Amino acid sequence: MEETPQHCLSRLPDNSALKQQELPAHRLYFTARRVLFVFFTTGIFCLCMGIILILSARSTQEIEINYTRICANCAKLRENASNFDKECTCSIPFYLSGKMMGNVYMYYKLYGFYQNLYRYVRSRSNRQLVGKDVKAVEDCAPFKMSDNKTPIVPCGAIANSMFNDTIILSHNINSSVQIKVPMLKSGLTWWTDKYVKFQNPSSKNLADEFRGTTKPPNWPKPIYDLDKKDPRNNGFLNDDFIVWMRAAAFPTFKKLYGRLNRTHHFIEGLPAGNYSFNITYNFPVTRFQGEKSVVLSTLTWCGGNSLFLGLAYTVTGAITWLASFAMMAIHITLKNKQMSFFHQ
Amino acid sequence: MSTERDSETTFDEDSQPNDEVVPYSDDETEDELDDQGSTVEPEQNRVNREAEENQEPFRKECTWQVKANDRKYHGQPHFMNTKFFCIKKSKYANNAIKTYKYNALTFIPMNLFEQFKRSANIYFLVLLILQAIPQISTLAWYTTLVPLLLVLGVTAIKDLVDDVARHKMDKEINNRTCEVIKDGRFKVAKWKDIQVGDVIRLKKNDFVPADILLLSSSEPNSLCYVETAELDGETNLKFKMSLEITDQYLQREDTLATFDGLVECEEPNNRLDKFTGTLFWRNTSFPLDADKILLRGCVIRNTDFCHGLVIFAGADTKIMKNSGKTRFKRTKIDYLMNYMVYTIFVVLSLLSAGLAIGHAYWEAQVGNYSWYLYDGEDFTPSYRGFLNFWGYIIVLNTMVPISLYVSVEVIRLGQSHFINWDLQMYYAEKDTPAKARTTTLNEQLGQIHYIFSDKTGTLTQNIMTFKKCCINGQIYGDHRDASQHNHNKIEQVDFSWNTYADGKLAFYDHYLIEQIQSGKEPEVRQFFFLLAVCHTVMVDRIDGQLNYQAASPDEGALVNAARNFGFAFLARTQNTITISELGTERTYNVLAILDFNSDRKRMSIIVRTPEGNIRLYCKGADTVIYERLHRMNPTKQETQDALDLLGATAIEDKLQDGVPETISKLAKADIKIWVLTGDKKETAENIGFACELLTEDTTICYGEDINSLLHARMENQRNRGGVYAKFAPPVQERFFPPGGNRALIITGSWLNEILLEKKTKRSKILKLKFPRTEEERRMRTQSKRRLEAKKEQQQKNFVDLACECSAVICCRVTPKQKAMVVDLVKRYKKAITLAIGDGANDVNMIKTAHIGVGISGQEGMQAVMSSDYSFAQFRYLQRLLLVHGRWSYIRMCKFLRYFFYKNFAFTLVHFWYSFFNGYSAQTAYEDWFITLYNVLYSSLPVLLMGLLDQDVSDKLSLRFPGLYIVGQRDLLFNYKRFFVSLLHGVLTSMILFFIPLGAYLQTVGQDGEAPSDYQSFAVTIASALVITVNFQIGLDTSYWTFVNAFSIFGSIALYFGIMFDFHSAGIHVLFPSIFQFTGTASNALRQPYIWLTIILTVAVCLLPVVAIRFLSMTIWPSESDKVYRI
Repeated sequence: MEETPQHCLSRLPDNSALKQQELPAHRLYFTARRVLFVFFTTGIFCLCMGIILILSARSTQEIEINYTRICANCAKLRENASNFDKECTCSIPFYLSGKMMGNVYMYYKLYGFYQNLYRYVRSRSNRQLVGKDVKAVEDCAPFKMSDNKTPIVPCGAIANSMFNDTIILSHNINSSVQIKVPMLKSGLTWWTDKYVKFQNPSSKNLADEFRGTTKPPNWPKPIYDLDKKDPRNNGFLNDDFIVWMRAAAFPTFKKLYGRLNRTHHFIEGLPAGNYSFNITYNFPVTRFQGEKSVVLSTLTWCGGNSLFLGLAYTVTGAITWLASFAMMAIHITLKNKQMSFFHQ
Repeated sequence: MSTERDSETTFDEDSQPNDEVVPYSDDETEDELDDQGSTVEPEQNRVNREAEENQEPFRKECTWQVKANDRKYHGQPHFMNTKFFCIKKSKYANNAIKTYKYNALTFIPMNLFEQFKRSANIYFLVLLILQAIPQISTLAWYTTLVPLLLVLGVTAIKDLVDDVARHKMDKEINNRTCEVIKDGRFKVAKWKDIQVGDVIRLKKNDFVPADILLLSSSEPNSLCYVETAELDGETNLKFKMSLEITDQYLQREDTLATFDGLVECEEPNNRLDKFTGTLFWRNTSFPLDADKILLRGCVIRNTDFCHGLVIFAGADTKIMKNSGKTRFKRTKIDYLMNYMVYTIFVVLSLLSAGLAIGHAYWEAQVGNYSWYLYDGEDFTPSYRGFLNFWGYIIVLNTMVPISLYVSVEVIRLGQSHFINWDLQMYYAEKDTPAKARTTTLNEQLGQIHYIFSDKTGTLTQNIMTFKKCCINGQIYGDHRDASQHNHNKIEQVDFSWNTYADGKLAFYDHYLIEQIQSGKEPEVRQFFFLLAVCHTVMVDRIDGQLNYQAASPDEGALVNAARNFGFAFLARTQNTITISELGTERTYNVLAILDFNSDRKRMSIIVRTPEGNIRLYCKGADTVIYERLHRMNPTKQETQDALDLLGATAIEDKLQDGVPETISKLAKADIKIWVLTGDKKETAENIGFACELLTEDTTICYGEDINSLLHARMENQRNRGGVYAKFAPPVQERFFPPGGNRALIITGSWLNEILLEKKTKRSKILKLKFPRTEEERRMRTQSKRRLEAKKEQQQKNFVDLACECSAVICCRVTPKQKAMVVDLVKRYKKAITLAIGDGANDVNMIKTAHIGVGISGQEGMQAVMSSDYSFAQFRYLQRLLLVHGRWSYIRMCKFLRYFFYKNFAFTLVHFWYSFFNGYSAQTAYEDWFITLYNVLYSSLPVLLMGLLDQDVSDKLSLRFPGLYIVGQRDLLFNYKRFFVSLLHGVLTSMILFFIPLGAYLQTVGQDGEAPSDYQSFAVTIASALVITVNFQIGLDTSYWTFVNAFSIFGSIALYFGIMFDFHSAGIHVLFPSIFQFTGTASNALRQPYIWLTIILTVAVCLLPVVAIRFLSMTIWPSESDKVYRI
C-alpha cells in the first residue's frame, strides 16, 4: 500500500532522534587501554601529591603542651563550682630547641569536649548575634533568660561555655629577663564571621545597647566588657568569642588563640630558647575526663603538620599502581588465552 | 465410602474425549457458571419451578420500574435509597455523567487523601509529624517537607491534567442535545437533563444518549440500524426492532406524548447483550429483550429518525456500568521493590535502636558529667536514649528513598511514550501506532518466559479470501481452463460479465465459471444462491457500489464470493431478501432466521421463493453439518434433518508478515510460545508448521500420549507417599528423555480430562445432597480436600510436562480454557506470561496473563480495550520484547540499584559521624543539603539514565536474542544485587566520612583560621558526595548522550551554585536562623587541603568501581559485553 497518501497517516509518530531513541551518543566501554591509562595517571598523580604533602607537612614545626596534669591543683580547684571567684594561675616553662620561622600561631586544644553534640550546637541565636535584635533568644534553651526574666546576651549553651583561660607566652632570654611575646588578637576569624554573622547593635555605646539584658551565668563579665580597649574587638565582634562560636566538628579540636606579632625580637618568628606559658586557669575539664593543651605551630600552603593527607595520597597512589599492574597482567593472560582459543 | 470412591475414580470410567468438540460454551460469565453449578438440580424440579414462576404476575428480579412521560413517578419514596445518614436519593440516576474525580473545592483534600493511601507517603507524613515534636526533632522542618511537597506536587499536577481533560469531555457530552417530549411536544434538551421515563427522538447519525427502549422509527416495522463501535468496536451495522404494538401506535408526536406504558425490567447491570423486561400498556404485557434496546454510545445509522423511552440513564447505562475498575496489574519488580523498602525500614529501625542505646550509654558515661551540656531538663540517660531513637529515625529517614516511587513512575511513563513513538511498530497500512495502554508494566516486558498466542487474526491476517469450493463432489479452484485442463500459468478469471463483481477476487478456475453460466449442474447455482441468501450481512450502497458489512470476516468472504460469481445480495428488509441471480433480481420472503452462535456453530434460513416454494438453507462448521446429514434429532433440530449437501467452501487466511521469523527469534530468546486456538486440530497443526513452530524433526505428542504419561507419573507419586507427601523432595525426573524436539498438541476436551475439570462440576452436584451426620460431613470434606490435592498435583505435572516441550498448541479451547492454561503456567511455573490476541474470545486470557497484548485487527476492539499493549501486527512483538522490554528492564534495574546505593551512601555518613558526636543525632550535612540532595543534586542524571540508557543498540538486541535472558532470570535486580548495592553504598559512605575525618583531625587552614570546624566538615563531605554519586552514575550510564553529560555536570554545578547562594552574606542577614552556614562554602573551598581531601575521597570511591567493572568484564563477560566486543 505504498500509494497511501502521506496526509492520511495522521497518527504517524514523529521521526525525531529523541522519540526514536537514536540520540547521538557515546557508548561507555571499559577498554583495557582506557582503564589502564586512567589508573596509571591517577597513580602518578597520587604518588606525587603524597610526596609533596608529606614534605610540606614535615617542613612545619609544632609544639603541643598538655597542661591538664601540669596544672593539677588548678584543675582540682575548678572541679568545685563554688570556687569560681578564686583565681588560679599556672606557669609552664618549656625549651624551644630550634627557632620557629615565619608566622607562628597559638592554639588552645581541647580533648573530649563535645562541641558537636546536637543539643549543644543548636543552642545559639544567630538573630541575636547579627545584632538586629539582641533580645531574640528563641533557640537558646536552656540559657534564654536569667532568673529575673531578662534575656541573656549572648544566649545559649555555646556562648555560656566559652573557653576563658588566658594564655600568655613569655620568652625567657635569661634567668632574669622575661619578655612577653607579642600576640595579635585580630584576624583570628573568617571575614564573613566578623563582618556578616557577628555584628554589634550599634558602635556608639555598647553598654546602652545591651541594657535590659544579662550576661551568661558562667561569664564573669558582660559581653560589652570583653575588650574595653579595642571597640572593634568588643561585644559580639570579639575574636575569641567568634572563634569559640564556630563549633568544632569533633570532640578533639583546636582553636586559634593568637598570632605572633612579628616585631622587634620576633621579626623572623620565635627564636630558640626558653619560654613559658602563663596560664590563668578558669575552664574546668577534668570532671568530664577532658584535657587542655596549648599549641604553637607554623603553617604552609596545605595547613599544619598533618601527615594524614600525604600518607593517604601515597598509599592510594601505590595501591593504584599495583592494581594497574595486576589488571594489566590479567588482561594480557586472558587475551593470550582468547587468542589461542581463536587460533585453535 | 461410596461417595469417596466416586470422586476418586478418574480416567477409566470415562470414554475418550472427543477431539472435535469444544468442551462447553462459555458465553456465560464466571458467576453465571457458578450459579449454574450450584443450582444444578434434577430436570423435573426445574421444569416445575419454572412453571410456578410463570404463574406469578412478574418475576422477582424485575424491580426496575419505568413509567413513560411521568417524571414524578420515579421520585416516589419507595424508590429512594438512603445515601448518607438521612439524605435520600432516587435510585434512578439522571443522565448527566461524571467521570471526573475532583472539582475545584475537593481537588486538594481528595487528591491528598488518594496520595496518602500510599504507604510511602504516609511514612513521610509520620516523619513530618515526628519532626514537629521539639524533643525529638533533629532536622529542620523543611528537610522532609520540601521533598514531600515536590513528590505530592508532581503527582497532583499529573492528576490535575488528567482530570481537567475528563471535565472537558464530560461537559462536552453532557451538553449534547436531543429532542425530548415536554408538555406534549418535542423540545430540544441537553443530555444532562434527560431523565428515566422520557420519550426522546433521535435522528440519523445521532449518538444514543441513554439506554432506551425502541418504540418506533421511520423505517418499515420500526427497524433501526445502529453502529456499536464505541461499545464493542464492531463496525458492522446491527439492526434493532421495536414491538409491533409500539410500531403501530406510537409514530406521531401526540400519541408519543400521551404514551403511558410501564416497563418493568432487571436492575442496571453491565451485560451488553442481555436484557429482560416487560412492557405493560393498555392492560396487556409485552416481553422485552435486548433486540429492542438501543444502548448509550451507539450511533443511529441508515434510519431517518427513531423514538425511544429512556430506561437507564447516566451512570446506570450499560456502557457506564462496564467502565468499571480495571484490575491493577503490578510487576515483579514492584513486589521486589516493596520488599526492599521494607528491608531498608527494618535496617533503619535497627540502626536507630543501636544508636539510641549508644546514646543512653554515652550520656551515663560522659554526658552526665559534662557541665557545658546542661540543658535544664532532668532526663535520665535511658529516656534521652529513647528520644534519640526517634531522632535517628528522622535523621536516617533518607535511607528510605522518598522520590523512588515518583521517579519510577516518571521512567515508566517515558518508556511507554517511547513505545508509542516507535516508528518501527507503526503500521502504515492501517495508520496504527503501537500503544502502551498501561504505563506501569514496561520492565516486565523484559522478563517474559511464556507467550500465549491466539491464532486467527493474531498469527494470521484474518482477511478471508474465497479459494476453493466443492460442489456435488467436484472440487473447483485449481488453475484450469474452461475445459477442465490444468495449466500452471493461467490468467485470472474475468468477472466483467457480472455488473456486480467487485474485481478484487483472484480466481483461476475457468471451469467453474463455465459451469455457472451453462447451468448444467443445478447444484452449482444452488450453492452460490445459498451463499447469497444464508447470512446476516448488512448492505449499503456507496456511489452505487454494493458495500457489505459482515459480523465475521468469513461470512463476508462467502457473500462476496457469491456476488462475484453472479449471485449478488442486494438488499434486505425485515422479511425479505433481494438477490440478483445472474442479472435477474428476485425477492425472497424470509420466514425465519436462526442466527449463528458458538454453540450451534451454524446458521439456517427458511425462505419462500417467488414461486411459493419453501426452502431451508443451512451453513455451518463441517462437523455440525456432517452430523445433521445423517442423524435424526428428536428435539429442536427437527427442521434441520434430512438436509441435502450442496457443497463445501475453502477459505484462506494468510499468515501475517514476519510471523515465522518472529517466532524463531523469540524462541532463541528462550521464550516458549503456546498457541491457543478454537480451531480444529488439523488446522492448528498446519498453522504450527506454517509458522515454523513445528518442524519436520519435531516429535508431536497428542492428548492421549501425555495422558498415559501423566497417569503413570501420578501412580508413581502415589506409591511414593501419596499426594500428601508435600515434604518429600520434589521430583526432578523428566517426562521425556532429554534432547530431541518435542511439541504438544492438545485439544480442549483432553485438557479438561487431564486437568480433572469435569470432576469438580460433579462434586458440586454431590454437595447439594445434604450431609446427614457429622461423620459423613467430615468424610466428605476430607475427600474433597484429597480431590483438590490430587487435582493440584495433576495440574502441576501437566505444566511440568508441557514445559518440557518446545512448542505447545492447544486447539478447540474455549476462552475460559485459554485463561485457565495461562493461569496454570502462572501458578506452577512462577513465570512471567504474556498473552496476545485480537478477538473477544482472547479477553479472558489477556486479562489473566501478567501482560496482555491486543492486536488491533479485523475483530473489533475488545481485545485491545482489555490489553496492556496494543499494535497492529504480530511481528512487532519481537521489537516490543527484545528491544523495548529489554531496555526497560535493564534501565529499571540500573535505576533501582543506583537509587538504593546513592541514598545509602548519603545517609550512612550520619551513622559514622554519630560515633564522634556522642550518638546525639547530629547530622553530617547542612539541613538544606539534606533537603535538596534527593530532589536536585542527584535526581536528574539517574532519571535520564532510566529513560535513555541502552547497553546495546536495538539492532544488536534483535540480532542476538540471547541477550534477553538476563531479564528472564532476574539477573540484574534481585536480593543479591540489592545487597551488593547497599554494601557499595555503605563502603562509599565510610570512605566519604573517614577520609575527611583523617584530614580534619589534625590539620589547620593555611591562614590558621577555624581549623576543623563543623560547617567546613559538612561542606567537604557534601561536595565529595555530590561529585562521587554523579560520577558514579556517569560510570553506570552506558549510553552517553549530551543530555546525560549535561545533567551530570549540571547537577554538580547546581550543587555548587545553590550552596554558594545559601552561604552568601545577603541571605544570612535576611534569615539568620534559617541559613546558618554563611561563608562556609567560600572559606572552606578556598583551602587547597579541602580540595585535596575531596579529590582523594572521590578517587578512592570510584577507582575500585572502575577496576571491578573492568575485571568482571574481562574475566566473566556478560552476554552484552560479548556482543559489544564483536
